[in-house]
Amino acid sequence: MDTTVYVPIPDEGTAARPTVTPAVRARALTKTYGRGEAQVRALDGVDVDFTAGRFTAIMGPSGSGKSTLMHLLAGLDSATSGQSFIGSTEVTGLNDKALTALRRTRVGFVFQQFNLLPMFTAEQNITLPVELAGGTVDKQWLGTLVDTLGLGKRLTHRPSELSGGQQQRVAIARALIAQPDVVFADEPTGNLDSRSGAEVLSFLRRSVRELGRTIIMVTHDPAAAAYADRVILIADGKIAGDITDPTPESALAGLDALRTVAAR
Amino acid sequence: MIRLTLSQMRRSVGRLAAAGLAIVIGTAFVAITLLAGNVITRTTYDSIAAQFTGADLVVRGVPADDTALDAVRDTDGVATADPQLMSYQQLEAGGRTIFQGVLAEPTDTSVLPLEVADGNLPEASGEIALPVDVAERLDTTTGDTVTLVRNVLEGDQESDEDAWTEVREQLTVSGTLTDPYGAYSMQGGAAVAPAADVTAWDDDLRAPGEEPVEPTTVLVTLDDGTDVETARTAITGALTSAAAGSGTDTSGLKVVTPSEHAETVATEMTGGDNVIFTTFVLVFAAVALLVAALVIANTFQVLVAQRTRTLALLRCVGADKGQLRRSVLFEAAVLGLVSSVVGLAAGVGLGQAALTIGRGMDLGVPLPATVDITPAVILIPLVVGTLVTLVAALSPARAATRVAPLEALRPADAPSGARGAGRVRLVLSTLVAVVGFALLGGGVAVSTVGGEPSLGLMVGVAGGVLSFLGVLVGAVFWLPRVVALAGRLVGMSGPTARLAAANTLRNPRRTAATSTALLIGVTLVGMMSTGAASARVTMDAELDSRYPVDVTVSTDLSSDPVSVAAGDAAVPAVPGTLAGTVRDVAGVATVVESPATAAQVAGDGVDDGLAMTVRAVDPADAGSVLRSTEMVAPLAAGTAVVPEELSEVWNISDGQTLTLTGPDGSLEVTAAVTDLADSGLLVVPDDLASLDADAPVTSLWVGLDDPGDAASVVPTIQDAVADTEAPADVMGAAVERAGFQQVIDTALGIVVGLLAAAVVIALIGVANTLSLSVIERRRESATLRAIGLSKGQLRGMLAVEGLLIALVGAALGVLLGLVYGWAGAAAALGWAGTPVIVVPWRDVLLMLVVAAVAGLVASVAPARTAVKTSPVEALASE
Repeated sequence: MDTTVYVPIPDEGTAARPTVTPAVRARALTKTYGRGEAQVRALDGVDVDFTAGRFTAIMGPSGSGKSTLMHLLAGLDSATSGQSFIGSTEVTGLNDKALTALRRTRVGFVFQQFNLLPMFTAEQNITLPVELAGGTVDKQWLGTLVDTLGLGKRLTHRPSELSGGQQQRVAIARALIAQPDVVFADEPTGNLDSRSGAEVLSFLRRSVRELGRTIIMVTHDPAAAAYADRVILIADGKIAGDITDPTPESALAGLDALRTVAAR
Repeated sequence: MIRLTLSQMRRSVGRLAAAGLAIVIGTAFVAITLLAGNVITRTTYDSIAAQFTGADLVVRGVPADDTALDAVRDTDGVATADPQLMSYQQLEAGGRTIFQGVLAEPTDTSVLPLEVADGNLPEASGEIALPVDVAERLDTTTGDTVTLVRNVLEGDQESDEDAWTEVREQLTVSGTLTDPYGAYSMQGGAAVAPAADVTAWDDDLRAPGEEPVEPTTVLVTLDDGTDVETARTAITGALTSAAAGSGTDTSGLKVVTPSEHAETVATEMTGGDNVIFTTFVLVFAAVALLVAALVIANTFQVLVAQRTRTLALLRCVGADKGQLRRSVLFEAAVLGLVSSVVGLAAGVGLGQAALTIGRGMDLGVPLPATVDITPAVILIPLVVGTLVTLVAALSPARAATRVAPLEALRPADAPSGARGAGRVRLVLSTLVAVVGFALLGGGVAVSTVGGEPSLGLMVGVAGGVLSFLGVLVGAVFWLPRVVALAGRLVGMSGPTARLAAANTLRNPRRTAATSTALLIGVTLVGMMSTGAASARVTMDAELDSRYPVDVTVSTDLSSDPVSVAAGDAAVPAVPGTLAGTVRDVAGVATVVESPATAAQVAGDGVDDGLAMTVRAVDPADAGSVLRSTEMVAPLAAGTAVVPEELSEVWNISDGQTLTLTGPDGSLEVTAAVTDLADSGLLVVPDDLASLDADAPVTSLWVGLDDPGDAASVVPTIQDAVADTEAPADVMGAAVERAGFQQVIDTALGIVVGLLAAAVVIALIGVANTLSLSVIERRRESATLRAIGLSKGQLRGMLAVEGLLIALVGAALGVLLGLVYGWAGAAAALGWAGTPVIVVPWRDVLLMLVVAAVAGLVASVAPARTAVKTSPVEALASE
């Protein structure tokens, strides 16, 4: 049954808050792997805007190109053609040095495997990006993050002494410490049980609502996507749908619709 | 399972190759050592074979006295029989002195393996034929004369020292000789003189009543057409019956052909010099292999850790623990064998190259053309190399069996491997170290305070070995702490360094093993250089107290004070130009001319007829060259400074009045005994003039700019003196210093060279550890890149890691080396005066710099790999 909240790509400007400017943009972004016969179009001319101060989920089945899109948006991988922007900076075409600088100050990452450094305490892990950039830690902001993420008692613990959910919360704090323009989260709940997963997603949402951050999350889980303000569906390297204020059901329905399309 | 192991090896071939390199160096070292031992044996054989090449038979094992020689000579078919007699004699010409072995000329000169280059062999008593190079050094040619200086025991006097008198004879050089077969290359060449002369010189060396020591080797030539075997039997028979008459023991008698003889002697050698040499070098090879074992063990530990998942999977599908253990050991065996073969080939190749180069350089010793590859040369390196690798892999193999099947199902994460070491090990290693250090201290005390240097040295060495063992085994406990401390210091410089410091601590065992490998080599090098420096300074201090000036050039030492005082002889003066020449030698600061005469000395309790050399020096001048002016402080008109040693011998006491009588008058002086080391009395020039108005300058007191330069300045002075052909002796602290400094430096150079192999292997280990860590930390490097670590910072992080591991190992090694070097010097040199403790700053700095540079270089290749890691990999789930 298709009680769809699935909406075809709306015209520009249907966003609920018209005053906001896009934090991240992609224009005709394309990524191909291989040559000739074996060529695979992982991303096929994607145009998309991500609004600042919003929590957006990119959802799609395995191999849809959702991870590739995120890598390109974040400047982790180079595009075959097209452009991507963070704020007014064109990410495509930056050299490694500039990209490193960009990652230090303007982008944060949350990984599926947490990727905390095992030899450092939670606090050292959180403040590492600022230190690498040679800056000083904003104590007040650190306090706010620690309070919001409920890490107060865990700061002196090492990752091996923390649960998966706690580790991921440390990772979120690390991603936010430099007050970046945007945080990319790659399947942040993929390695967590459902309770810890829900907790982490709530924290991500709170970071957006209470701290005014911009988060772009890649996931294949409709329940996780439902925490976002908006879900962008992707299939076969193309944008296949856009859901505003999703619910688990609407997200799942969108995903199902993609599968049906793919199956046909 | 074997196929699986091999395919796994193929996947890790790069890592294995790095570990294999350590074994390659170690086995090459062993192979070269064994080859060198063979070359020594071979050279000995060749040289002995050459010595007897002209003889038909060699008689050994009986004293070649007249009875025996006559018995041999009277045997049918024997043409000539001559004892092989070589006597070492002192030859002088033009101020140069040489000790030279002189062969008794045989009846049949075709027996001599030497060839006449110029002139001819000696034909009459008083002639001598010299090796070409000796003739050159003495600056003589055929027809010139050389002086033979001998000490001869006069008359029947009992062994009183005075009975020895110096005899100088002139010998005519009849010709020069070459040694084309290198027969006497190991004895420094051989001169030839008539048999009667050589026998007479040799006889004179003996104290009266002492039994003549007859040479035990007789060279026999046979008449043409005589069968060797028949002659052999006949000679044996003749000697046995002759010996039966005189009651000589003939149990050792052997009549052999020259080649049989050479073989016997060479075999005897292999039980002597050769074994000492081989053992000495093999000790260093063993150190290198121990370090290699550490590197291998480390590599396998990491390989097993990285393969945890595969191993667990194998366990899941039914592999038992034994199979996993065997797989790892098989891998080690293959690696060990392959590396050993490569090492052996490298060793043989290097050995051959060294021989070829050595032959081209004309070293004076005829070297064989090719290396002598015996079964031992092949087998020992192969077996040792493979075994060391296998033993090193034992512990990693055990770790492999501990992998639980369950680990296959867990997410792959960087293997932690941070398992602590056992308590037993901690207790045992601490105990061994404490006992070892106590013994070391005890050894030093026994040697210095107890005055038992040989016992002290033995205890000290045992303590040193024991404590070092304890330190090494315990390294896994204390070394990481030191690294942590160093890391904390380094970490203050910024986040990159802090990351690096934290990284070195995540696997303490590995860091400890890597640092330890370096520590071993550095400790030994540090010990040697500290020991050498301490020995040098201790000896310097001892020499300083023995000699008042750096260098003395003196002509009066060999003249007899009694005859000079009696006016029967004159003291030869130092040539007038010599002072100026010496003063112009670079490195000479001051030259003070000192005139001397001889005077009769009379006083209460002083033996009658005592005559002594009386030297004069201006007190102000003396102050400028004397090491300590205290020695001549009492010097003034009317005072004679008496060296303490002389005062004891001649019963002269401090403050006593002495009457000196010289050729031109006499003088009353007050004796002032000081610890001046000299062979005569010292007065002021005016006093000397009243004894002998024409006292010639017989001594030059030479002060050097820097006594440390003795090694370069002294030979120049010696040459300058030799050129004047004056009979002057050059002596003093600087002269002896130049001599032993060279010995110490050469020995140190050899030992450090041998240890270098161990240090190189350890540095390979540092690079290996770093690259393995980099592979292990791929995801982490990617994460760091993703959160803002620049490529430069990543490189910097690895460089700091390399630096930390290398520098901590080197610094601790230097520290331990200082302790061992000091203890060793104190225990060994306690007899030579109070041991002086020295830090060889230059060497210490050099070692640290080498370690630091090596640590940095070791990080280059791993850093290149790490930088290639894309930040995307941090996101990958596998």
